[in-house]
Amino acid sequence: MAAATSSQKITVRKFQVHSNFERFAYLFMRMSGVALLILAVGHMLIQHVLNSSSNLTIEFVAAQWDSWGWKVYDILLLWLAIPHGINGLRNILEDYIHNPATVKLVNRLLALFVVATVIWATIGMALFDASRFQ
Amino acid sequence: MSSLILTIRESLRYRGRSGHISWMAHRVSGIAILAFLVIHVWDTANAHFWPQAYAWSVALFKYPLIAVGELVIMAAVLYHAFNGIRITLLDFKPEWWMHQQRSATIVWTIFLVLFIPIAIYMISGIFGHCSELAAHGSTCWQIPPFSDFAKYAN
Repeated sequence: MAAATSSQKITVRKFQVHSNFERFAYLFMRMSGVALLILAVGHMLIQHVLNSSSNLTIEFVAAQWDSWGWKVYDILLLWLAIPHGINGLRNILEDYIHNPATVKLVNRLLALFVVATVIWATIGMALFDASRFQ
Repeated sequence: MSSLILTIRESLRYRGRSGHISWMAHRVSGIAILAFLVIHVWDTANAHFWPQAYAWSVALFKYPLIAVGELVIMAAVLYHAFNGIRITLLDFKPEWWMHQQRSATIVWTIFLVLFIPIAIYMISGIFGHCSELAAHGSTCWQIPPFSDFAKYAN
């Protein structure tokens, strides 16, 4: 019996899927990427070609952010671009950081940074009072 | 850190042709965009939280060297966008994988066709801005002092 078992070696590999996060991150990069083709490239063309940094003033920003349409455009851009960019950085960093504890720490710091940036900038845009500069 | 240096060295030596160049260009343009994006987002939030600082930074963005940086970001966004669409399409369409090389060429072509006229237009804008200031006896090579924007202080 013992001999039979040793001749029929079966490899049992226990694989536990901890979370679907990586799958969602992969899909998010592609979905947000398609949206950013419109939002980010549109932002560059509108603000840097049709308009120009050389005549940009805080009054010009106030004129745009006087409408909720522009505010929503920029808030949407913020919500997609910051997580897309930071997750891209995470993908790159994980190629060069090999210590699992360091990877975990870096991931937590990056996640914290995304949350802080998105909240801070969303508050800034949502509460921006255009009438102060007109 | 040593693996990073190794990667940079080997990335420049490795002769992986178009796929390797696309991979490097996507990463480098992504990092460039993110570096600027983070500054841009926190800076723009100042329009609400600290208008004086925002008004000063808007003046800073008109400095010619930073305007050249703006051009670099424009290139990075355009390339990253079109190459990202190529990656997404090929990820979901394995039957197109035989066209890897051609797709990379298409992306570079779209990028150059869009970027070259935009670059010429933006560079002429920088020169126009500088010559306009020069006509008024001023210069674009000078950043206005922070105190000039005190009228925007809360």
